[in-house]
Amino acid sequence: MTPAPDDGRLRLTILGGYLGSGKTTWLRHQLFEGAFGKAHILVNEAAETPVDDTLLSSQAAGLTMLSGGCACCTGKDDLVAALRNLCDLRSRQRPEERDAGQIVLETSGLADPAAILDTIRQDSVLVHHIRVAEIIVLVDAMNAAEQLRTEYLGRAQIEAADRIILTKVDAVPDTVLATVVATVRHLNPGASVEAAVKGQPFSLPDLPVVPPYDLPRLADGGAPIQPTKIDIPDDVEWATFSVWLSALLYARGDDLVRVKGVFETPAGPLLLQAVRKSVQPPELLPPEAAHRQNQIVFIGRGYKGDDLRRSLAYFTHG
Amino acid sequence: MCNACGFPTRPGHWTDAGADNAGDRLRLQLRRAQVLNKLLKGYGFTARPPGHAPGFALSSFSGRTTILPDLEAVWQEAARQLGHPIDPLDPRFTAQADPAT
Repeated sequence: MTPAPDDGRLRLTILGGYLGSGKTTWLRHQLFEGAFGKAHILVNEAAETPVDDTLLSSQAAGLTMLSGGCACCTGKDDLVAALRNLCDLRSRQRPEERDAGQIVLETSGLADPAAILDTIRQDSVLVHHIRVAEIIVLVDAMNAAEQLRTEYLGRAQIEAADRIILTKVDAVPDTVLATVVATVRHLNPGASVEAAVKGQPFSLPDLPVVPPYDLPRLADGGAPIQPTKIDIPDDVEWATFSVWLSALLYARGDDLVRVKGVFETPAGPLLLQAVRKSVQPPELLPPEAAHRQNQIVFIGRGYKGDDLRRSLAYFTHG
Repeated sequence: MCNACGFPTRPGHWTDAGADNAGDRLRLQLRRAQVLNKLLKGYGFTARPPGHAPGFALSSFSGRTTILPDLEAVWQEAARQLGHPIDPLDPRFTAQADPAT
């Protein structure tokens, strides 16, 4: 992901993934390696029997357990209170004592990271103090096939990710791994895909080209999602595009799982990112990034890709 | 928050990015109002910059005018009055133009 300028807000990394995908193992190793610096760790358990804290507390700057239910639904208030508390502590520090503040939230296996992102965006305090740096989602390569076939949640987690890490890759044959990679890329073509074994990075071998799993339609998930890449013509201005996209997200936000891309504006190239209806505050990229400009990927369901192009053309020329 | 006009109540809406000086912001606001009207006119609404603040004044055909802080609030208010959101993928917007242009 593009490194963002330090705007004084606390950076929050959301670590998600289905039950048993290896979130704690991975995080523990990353903390040991110092990947998140002196981060404060928040751990959410859907069940009320916390165990992860003992595993993690030795390496973290601080650790808070949220064990009163899943942070994307019943435990939402606890999450907001814990995050506000961290913001409060940081505001009391003298500027010279403040380090580059970081929080890592390990969600419960039942959480939808997009819902958590939404909670933070909608809280009038947190929105000023916390910037969601990255959504990392772990996918268990051994059980992915079954989970993705039957669980809408497993798909939603992958759809919301910026970075996907396949775990337990040493336990599956290459053919299975290739299919899992293809499926994950199909669900979220915008995210980077990596692999890890017991928390340690593992470089993916050369995999045969195989089709993704044929995922059935689920009652609560609707039609399978499809990516549409739109090269924005030069005559589409930011004013037009932003009006059009805001209307589109308002009307179709539940179907548009992800929108991502770079758009050239009067102020410079802007990195746009939306997960469902919530749009992250766009980041201004350095001018070098302009070679990727004006190309936006829409990932969603329930519309035809060409209709997006036609509708945008209508508002540009019509 | 500005205690004269009440704006903004939270850090800018994402559509406020892309203009980093007052001139660009004003140009963007005026240009947006034009585009907005293209979307709204078939539904009996008009929008204009409210003059003293960011955002838009949304008027319905009955003359009722609401001052709204950002584009999202415009879509929300329009959906509330219409009973359904204004969809840019409605056939009326996708039927005519050629995607190649």
